[in-house]
Amino acid sequence: MAKHGLRAAVAGPITVITVAALGLAACGTDASSGSGGAKGSSTIQIWEGYTQVEAKAFAYLVSEYEHQHPGQKVSTLFVNNDDSLQKVLTAVRGGSPPDIAYLYGSWAPNVAQIPQVVNLSTAVQQPGVNWNDFWVGERDVATVNGKVIGVPALVDNLAVVYNKTLFANAGLTPPGPDWTWQEFQADAKKLTNPAIKQYGTAYVTPGNEDTVWHWEALLWEAGGQLLSADGKQAAFNSPAGLASLNTLRAMAVTDRSMYLDPTDSAYDNLFNSGKIGMLVTGPWDLATFTNVKYGVQVMPAYPDGKGHQTISGPDNWVVFNNGAANVAAAEKFLLWLTAPAQVKYFSMQTGDLPTRQSVGDASGFSQQMNSTLPGVSTFVTNLANVRQARPQIPQYPKISQILGTMIVSVLLGKSQPQAALAAAAQQVNQALAAS
Amino acid sequence: MAISGTLLRPREAGTRPRQRRRAKMASEQFTGWAFVTPGVAIIVLFGAAPIVWSAVMSFQRNNLLTPDTPFVGLKNYRQMVHDPIVAQAIQHTLIYTALFVPGTMVTGLFLAVAMNRKIRFISLYRTAAYATMAISTISEAIVFIWLFDPSYGIANYVLGKAGIPQQQFLNSPSEALYVIVIMTIWGWTGFAVVIYLAALQGVPQNLLEAAAIDGAGHWHTFRRVTLPLLSPATLFLAVWLTINALQLFDEVYLSTQGGPLNATTVLVYYLYDQAFQQFNFGYASAIAYFLFLVIIVVTVIQFRAGRRFTYYRS
Repeated sequence: MAKHGLRAAVAGPITVITVAALGLAACGTDASSGSGGAKGSSTIQIWEGYTQVEAKAFAYLVSEYEHQHPGQKVSTLFVNNDDSLQKVLTAVRGGSPPDIAYLYGSWAPNVAQIPQVVNLSTAVQQPGVNWNDFWVGERDVATVNGKVIGVPALVDNLAVVYNKTLFANAGLTPPGPDWTWQEFQADAKKLTNPAIKQYGTAYVTPGNEDTVWHWEALLWEAGGQLLSADGKQAAFNSPAGLASLNTLRAMAVTDRSMYLDPTDSAYDNLFNSGKIGMLVTGPWDLATFTNVKYGVQVMPAYPDGKGHQTISGPDNWVVFNNGAANVAAAEKFLLWLTAPAQVKYFSMQTGDLPTRQSVGDASGFSQQMNSTLPGVSTFVTNLANVRQARPQIPQYPKISQILGTMIVSVLLGKSQPQAALAAAAQQVNQALAAS
Repeated sequence: MAISGTLLRPREAGTRPRQRRRAKMASEQFTGWAFVTPGVAIIVLFGAAPIVWSAVMSFQRNNLLTPDTPFVGLKNYRQMVHDPIVAQAIQHTLIYTALFVPGTMVTGLFLAVAMNRKIRFISLYRTAAYATMAISTISEAIVFIWLFDPSYGIANYVLGKAGIPQQQFLNSPSEALYVIVIMTIWGWTGFAVVIYLAALQGVPQNLLEAAAIDGAGHWHTFRRVTLPLLSPATLFLAVWLTINALQLFDEVYLSTQGGPLNATTVLVYYLYDQAFQQFNFGYASAIAYFLFLVIIVVTVIQFRAGRRFTYYRS
């Protein structure tokens, strides 16, 4: 509910700022397209959502690019990543999209429908770009129906972060690289102590994509698939789907070793307070775990499954068409920005995982990163366990919603895994058939 | 203003008053419009235009991504009838409104009456009561998430001390909506306090004294004298809080995101989800217009009913 009085009070200034920003944006593109062809100089506009160390490292790279390429100007505008698609859509409708925008990979199939989005398929195949150097999980998310709609901007993955002190207190040996979900469950049970409100593990349960992608990794590890190969049918109502949901149910309902976080905002603080033994999470959380001694291990596997897989949620730099000169300038900047030297610099400065395999594999690289952000090297090597991506179809948001409900209903003990799978599969089939 | 200004001015010799007056009117009109235009332009651009545009969109299949927006007639509205989540969202919105509006008004009235007296540090208490309005919704949500955390929250701690079994609160589909009700009542009570406090100070002392002389007790005076005199404030609060309750969004978005299992999905949250998560802008616009109609109908009923019991002193 909006507190209207307060909101109205800020609406005025915001409107003025928006109008001013639109005006400035318009000036920027006009100036660039006007002088672009004549003098070989141009300005491109880029929308990004970097803050703190990322913002600093990005600003340095932009200034370095301008220094190395006289006449090329890059103007950056901060846009909160969560809102960027909304703002891009508005700008596209207004006829003045940015030249480049940072957009979440989960939007890719929908972004691909925007006519102004530039097909980068030929640009990324140019000699020297070495497209296959980007991890397969990134390339899959940047490609929709065979068309490359973005250049990878960020890559991550899920692994297990565990509290070394709690493991020692419980007399447990820290997990090894060959561990299984059965061991995970047993450890979680031993780490749970209701008397001091300590949980073995945690799961985020708002029922959104954050709930869903944690489970998708389990499904793949158990040997399952979300959809059939032709993408027309649900395929997760399978023994693998059942195994994955049974694992979650055993911890959440039977053992009560899993703290359920319906707001997606408590688990990290609780882990940092030593209240949770193990978390399945990504490298972005590591910097906040300053109060506990933690270790990182790859995801556990299923004995007869498909090994230690994980899932990645890469994001993309997407180019919008503001005329051939701007597109060329934007492509040139992006390919420079995502070349190995710049990727290495950015990772070193920020602790973000390298978007290129050659950078991650270079000797000494992950040890060097690890010295500034302990545990991150496991996430770097874990990138090799990203073997597939979520289905790149426009119906995915709807499917994600159905799966979110399925997972939460099992975790809350409201339905049995088999019944939940069957109901969700039926709804997914309907959603796929409807469009 | 214009007329009185002209009348007060003494007529000058040798001028034709009528023409002067017309010219003056024209120039005043021009000045008036000049002052108003920037405001009007902003309202039209950011208020009226989106309202009209979303009306158009509610008859289209529109994902805002592609320029292709075919006209589908009433399909979006028909889809609402068959959408089980819309039915749930309406139910949640009504339950929420039915609890939040009276809850806020009663709490607000109680606190206002308690603070309508001359005691030490009264301005401190009044400021404290209004502070909940000044606190941003996001801080409020974070605080309540922790208060009502099933394992670590103070709410379960207090229940445990009182021997009541531990509750799941935001983790429970049957309890989450009520936590949101408590959260928003807390956030809005300050507003009701201020309105009621202002109205209470407008209650004439002589009426209260007359009632006392006639032998009416405290409760009787409050019930028969004070409460009727507060009726305009009550009507205003009822209408204002109902409109806000039907538009509940922020607290849901910040705490439960409509969950668990759609238990806190209210209409505005669902339309946000349809628009910005599912890219069904046409359908979301139809839901918005349905809500708009509901709000108009409810408000008209409130004003009609209000006329019966509202007492305006002239």
